[in-house]
Amino acid sequence: MSELPVAPEQIIHVVDDDEALRDSMTWMLEGNGYRVLTYESAEAFLRVCRPDMAGCVVLDVRMPGMSGLEMFEELGRRRCTLPVVFITGHGDVPMAVSALKKGAVDFIEKPFSERDMLRLIEQCLMLERDSRDKRLQEADTARRLEHLTQREREVLDLIIVGKLNKQIADVLGISIKTVEVHRARVMEKMGANSLAELVQHVVTVEPGALLR
Amino acid sequence: MSLSTSARGGPPHWYWAAPYVAVVFFALSMLTLVWLLQQRELEAERGAVVRDLQWAEQTMRRQMLGTEEFLGQLARDVAAEALDHDGFQLRANQHIANNSELVNVAWVGTDEIVRWTAPFDTTDWLSGEALAGEQIRLMEQARTSGRLIYGDAYRTARGDTVLEVYVPILRGGEFRGALVGAYSVERMIRHLVPAWFVDKYRLALRNARGEVLAVSSKLQDVDESLSVELAFDPPGNGLALRATALRGGGLPRALPAALILGLSVLVLWSLWSLRIHVMRRVQVEKERDRLFNLSLDMLCVVGIDGSFRRCNPAFERILGHAPDSMPGQPMIDFVHAEDAGATLDALRRLAGGEPVKFENRCRCADGSYKWLVWSINPVCEERLVYAVAHDITGRKAAEQALRAESAFRKAMEDSVLTGLRAIDLSGRIIYVNSAFCRMVGWSEDELVGATAPFPYWPEEMLEVCERNLQMTLNGQAPASGFELRIQRRNGERFDARFYLSPLIDVSGRQTGWMASITDITEPKRVRAALEATHERFEAVLDGLDAAVFVADVRTDEILFANRAFKRIHGFDVVGHTVRGVAVPQPERGDYRVDPRGLTPADLPRELFDGELQHPLSGRWYHVREQAMRWVDGRVVRMGVATDSTERKQTAEVARQQEERLQRTSRLITMGEMASTLAHELNQPLSAIANYCAGCVTRMQGGKWKPEDVLTAMQKASFQAERAGKIVRRVREFVKKSEPRRSAVNLVDVLDDALGFADIDARRTGIRLIADIEPGLPPVFADRIMIEQVVLNLIRNGLDAMADTLPEQRLLVVRARRFGDDAVEVAVIDRGHGISEEGRQRLFTPFYTTKTEGMGMGLNICRSIVEFHDGRLIVDDNPEGGTIFSFTLPTESASERVARSA
Repeated sequence: MSELPVAPEQIIHVVDDDEALRDSMTWMLEGNGYRVLTYESAEAFLRVCRPDMAGCVVLDVRMPGMSGLEMFEELGRRRCTLPVVFITGHGDVPMAVSALKKGAVDFIEKPFSERDMLRLIEQCLMLERDSRDKRLQEADTARRLEHLTQREREVLDLIIVGKLNKQIADVLGISIKTVEVHRARVMEKMGANSLAELVQHVVTVEPGALLR
Repeated sequence: MSLSTSARGGPPHWYWAAPYVAVVFFALSMLTLVWLLQQRELEAERGAVVRDLQWAEQTMRRQMLGTEEFLGQLARDVAAEALDHDGFQLRANQHIANNSELVNVAWVGTDEIVRWTAPFDTTDWLSGEALAGEQIRLMEQARTSGRLIYGDAYRTARGDTVLEVYVPILRGGEFRGALVGAYSVERMIRHLVPAWFVDKYRLALRNARGEVLAVSSKLQDVDESLSVELAFDPPGNGLALRATALRGGGLPRALPAALILGLSVLVLWSLWSLRIHVMRRVQVEKERDRLFNLSLDMLCVVGIDGSFRRCNPAFERILGHAPDSMPGQPMIDFVHAEDAGATLDALRRLAGGEPVKFENRCRCADGSYKWLVWSINPVCEERLVYAVAHDITGRKAAEQALRAESAFRKAMEDSVLTGLRAIDLSGRIIYVNSAFCRMVGWSEDELVGATAPFPYWPEEMLEVCERNLQMTLNGQAPASGFELRIQRRNGERFDARFYLSPLIDVSGRQTGWMASITDITEPKRVRAALEATHERFEAVLDGLDAAVFVADVRTDEILFANRAFKRIHGFDVVGHTVRGVAVPQPERGDYRVDPRGLTPADLPRELFDGELQHPLSGRWYHVREQAMRWVDGRVVRMGVATDSTERKQTAEVARQQEERLQRTSRLITMGEMASTLAHELNQPLSAIANYCAGCVTRMQGGKWKPEDVLTAMQKASFQAERAGKIVRRVREFVKKSEPRRSAVNLVDVLDDALGFADIDARRTGIRLIADIEPGLPPVFADRIMIEQVVLNLIRNGLDAMADTLPEQRLLVVRARRFGDDAVEVAVIDRGHGISEEGRQRLFTPFYTTKTEGMGMGLNICRSIVEFHDGRLIVDDNPEGGTIFSFTLPTESASERVARSA
């Protein structure tokens, strides 16, 4: 897996209509060694938002124009998987709860303590990192699968469902020897060190492969 | 007009005879003239006939002389024997061919035997035949005389009439026979005269005996008067030619005379007819003239220009104008000025050729006016109008009088309210007046002439109505009349009373029955309405939930009681005294005036209005008593007692609900405000926390630049200022919403607050006691706010006593003077009291010990009190619990302050 690209720097995107809050968040988070970008509105963030952004979003629920919740839903529509932490004011709790149900990482009530905020952010970043790794792994596997020849693909499908070389040879009407050659080529092309690893990679990309 | 001439008498007789004489004379002279002309013409014609006949005779004679000569020549040739048979034939035939009247030529020898004959095909003269009778005699004569001899004409066996000529053949004086020529008489007549002669005349040849030997034309249509006879010689022997003119295509000779006679007769006849006609006309005109002159109506002829042409004597009789003076005068000059317009209109229409009839007034000779009705017919082609005017002055006056009379009667009929209806003896309506028409709704036209069943008979009453009508017609109608239900046109029924009386005409004969009809619906209705009103009145009174009674003020006797009253107090109360039955009623002293002292002049008068409790049932009644005048003139008091127990309860419940609603809404408003405040404050607070945390982190990490931290701290303090501004804004908002202070009676405020709190107090079983010093001065305050403060404190007190033993649950609201310028209000509870720590935080916003509280109540209370220049103080109640007290300035004190300020 050493071929995976270098992980991009994780950035904390703070979206809040209150200038003081944005500035103080920047001050506080940068003091803790994070990279911070701030946006004065949901629209401003959505303008620069790209699916391959790394990091997390700290989002105020109540904003003029597009609300935090609406922006979160928009991110969902855009398949942007950045983890989101909601900041809520007094009385916004039910709104925040509904945001949680829709997949936000957590919410934090104003005024919040630095500790709680940092803990949440760390959690988000970790989550994001993991999901990005997973995504990259899947992309890698998918790319490798595409490089297989037709025969190798057939052999792979049979390997995955647990067929022995002999059975594979019978099904495909080729010699065991040939099956073995194909099998070695598949392992090499897929970059798998073991059968288990191979199965795991393929199944994450094609969950249906096991059912064939 | 022939009127004028005929007026002077009949014409003389010669006037009539002249035309006849003239016609006869003319006819005679014409006839004479014609006769003379015809005579002359006849003479001329006869001359012409003679000439023509002579000419014809001459022609024939020359022809015959030619033949004689031929025969003489032939005879000589025969005598000289220079001629043979063939020569004879040739010459004879030739001559015959050229002279068709000659049919035969023969040589008869001396032996009187025919030698030669020509033509050769003849059958009359055959060679060798001997002569017979007369021929021999003629032969002898010719022999003897030696000259040519004509014989008499005779008829041959074949029917031809033949004339023979004998020419002796002499040789040296020797008779050697004779040449015979045979003429056909008919051919002579036909061929020896020209055609035009034959066309003109009938030529006849007669012998001496007068027998007609031959005729040129068989036509009988000859004019015997134009007949001329002429001796035909040679041949002589008495032969004569007779020419008779043929009656050609010309007109008959008698025609002119006949025409003249016929025409004269025609003229005479037409003259006669004309005379008869004229006589008749004269007679008619005489009559017309008499009519014109004797007519009682004015007759006149007027020119199309409107001026009189001729007037009859009636003008003089009616208008006084002499008829002779009228012609030439314009008609319009005589017309009354008011009628001039209408008259001119009529004249204009006349000019359009349309006959008109109109009335106008015309001026008499004496200057008065008479009404005339004019009938005028225009005769456009004569440019005249013929007018008849009838004097209607008398009629007009009579009409006027009649109209006035009729109008008066009509007005009388129309103005009576009683319906009048007359029927004849057969039951047919002959008269209805307008009141009756109004009553039933049918018009006079529809009713008059109607027979039973009349339209106003209701269907359900037909039998009764029919019976009544029969009784009426039989003269059996009761003197008191009928009461009958009849219907209006719209179907509405009403009761009417019919009074009937016989209808007697001028001659004293009964012609029908007169009915006067009165609508008695109204009296009936009034009676019914009165009864209904009474019933309604009783029904209303009985239907009332309120108990109503009327009692005499002096004897206290109950005169009337409604059902509700009886139900409560017994059904035999009428007649009892009010005191005798347990009626909730005011004491004597509660009356505004003593009812016993009232006179009818003071009435009506309110005596009492208030709520009383029934002494036995304990129910509450709203009692009103009023002094009034009873139907018999007595002064009575009427009491109305309404059970108000339930209303009181309902009002209480409603008040509680209202109060609860208010409280809830107040909480909601407060909650919203708090929420907004919290959100607003959250921003700067979060920012401050972030700045501080950032600073702390940096400082702990040791990697910090003083200027960065400084900036952050500055920002943090700026945010703190922002928070302060928010708080200030809230306070300003609170301030803005309460500006209304006025003089307030504190007792009322406390009563209201206690009233509200009473509900909760009862629910939790807490006694509320008001301990208010009498005669408290009014305070200068906002009534609503103070009430809120008191209510809030009471409620706090009530809440605090939730855990207190029930018998100790007592809350006192005390109000008393506080110095000269203030009043102190205290709310004293026996609750759990307030700990020392609690007291420290008592006025902290959002501090609360209640599960559902906001922690704003006391805070706001303190603000309100301080706004009123007072203080809110908390003390422990020595008897357990807490005392919240606050002071308010009196109205006079604040006035002083205001003045000094």
